[in-house]
Amino acid sequence: MIDRSYKELLKMRRFPHTWCPGCGIGAVLKNVAMGLKELGLDYQNTAIVSGIGCSGRMGGYMNFDAVHTPHGRALTAAGAIKTARPDLKVVVLSGDGDLGAIGGNHLLHTSRRNPDITVFCNDNEIYGLTGGQAGPTTPKGTKTITSPRGEMYPPLRLGKILTAQTPYFFARTTVYHLNHFKACIREALLYQGFSFVDIISDCIELNGRRQGFKTAHQMFKWFDERFHVVEGVRDHLEDDELGIAKKEAEVEVKAGAKPEMEEKPEILEEDLKHYTIEELSHVDGSEGRPIFIGYKGKIYDLSSSPLFQGEKRMRCHIAGKNLTKDMEAAPHGEDLVLKFPVVGRLKE
Amino acid sequence: MKPRINVVWNEIYCKRCILCVEVCPVGVLSLEMDEIVEKPGCIRCYQCERYCPDIAIEVMDG
Repeated sequence: MIDRSYKELLKMRRFPHTWCPGCGIGAVLKNVAMGLKELGLDYQNTAIVSGIGCSGRMGGYMNFDAVHTPHGRALTAAGAIKTARPDLKVVVLSGDGDLGAIGGNHLLHTSRRNPDITVFCNDNEIYGLTGGQAGPTTPKGTKTITSPRGEMYPPLRLGKILTAQTPYFFARTTVYHLNHFKACIREALLYQGFSFVDIISDCIELNGRRQGFKTAHQMFKWFDERFHVVEGVRDHLEDDELGIAKKEAEVEVKAGAKPEMEEKPEILEEDLKHYTIEELSHVDGSEGRPIFIGYKGKIYDLSSSPLFQGEKRMRCHIAGKNLTKDMEAAPHGEDLVLKFPVVGRLKE
Repeated sequence: MKPRINVVWNEIYCKRCILCVEVCPVGVLSLEMDEIVEKPGCIRCYQCERYCPDIAIEVMDG
């Protein structure tokens, strides 16, 4: 049974949406809506910013206040919204051409400033809307309409750029690995700071068919061959890895600053007062006296223990006694006693 | 339109990308005469609904 309440966040009356049959943007839209619904985000506490391109239409299909920005300026608008209304969750839905090529400079400098913005980049490795020209993330050797003999240059590696400076959050996933995709969306929305999710998506009509794929599912299988999922949170991701790369800001250590440490005065065991069992039984907390107990030949002062307050005993443990044998039967370890100060030695 | 036993198919939303037909692990879905047809034998794994980019196919509850 699937929870279908995410449909409240979509403008279902505007469906069917405008994208081609089998386009991955539909899957991105659906899964982002699921992720937002799961975390309780709705039109009252979230703003959507979308760029230009096929994926820029995503904002229009969602029941949110959405901004459709000029080409490449999705991150600038998102930064402005976050500055004016820090209480709003700002989600950017855009594509690789908008974020990586025309908005490349904004991507660099927004990630440097590290605002609390979540970016979902629909990375279909092509300029889809304009007819399938080679884009910034097109892999080398891919045949497109502008590179009929194969793309000549290596692609822009968004993962390497965005993980160059700490703190960062970069996740790469595909629309085929659905469980991993949902986990990445959730992690990115929960992260405090600039989080970027690179979603490898399929453009079957303008990219896949030129490469010989007949259906969207054949492209999905190709993604499965090209990428593999890595478990856990990493420092960096290789080009063929799907996963989450996250690192906190490096704290600069000032030269010359000494770490503050509390020095405990050492007590020599020879100087401690010796108590007999009878003497110890007087110091049981009655008439304003402190609470002492014996343990393994030493006397501990348990006056500050919250468990011994008010009464002379804590359950079966009686103050003013040698409790070495009690410890063996107790469910807790001896660390509960050892944290109290030593005040004397027990005379056998 | 032929009746379907386990799935609800939305004719207007569907763009016939046949992703649901290809992800089905038991192969009970097929596209015949521009219609998604369901044969008996659905194991209710929800893969078609999870992968559909157009929210056009749903597995019935119950």
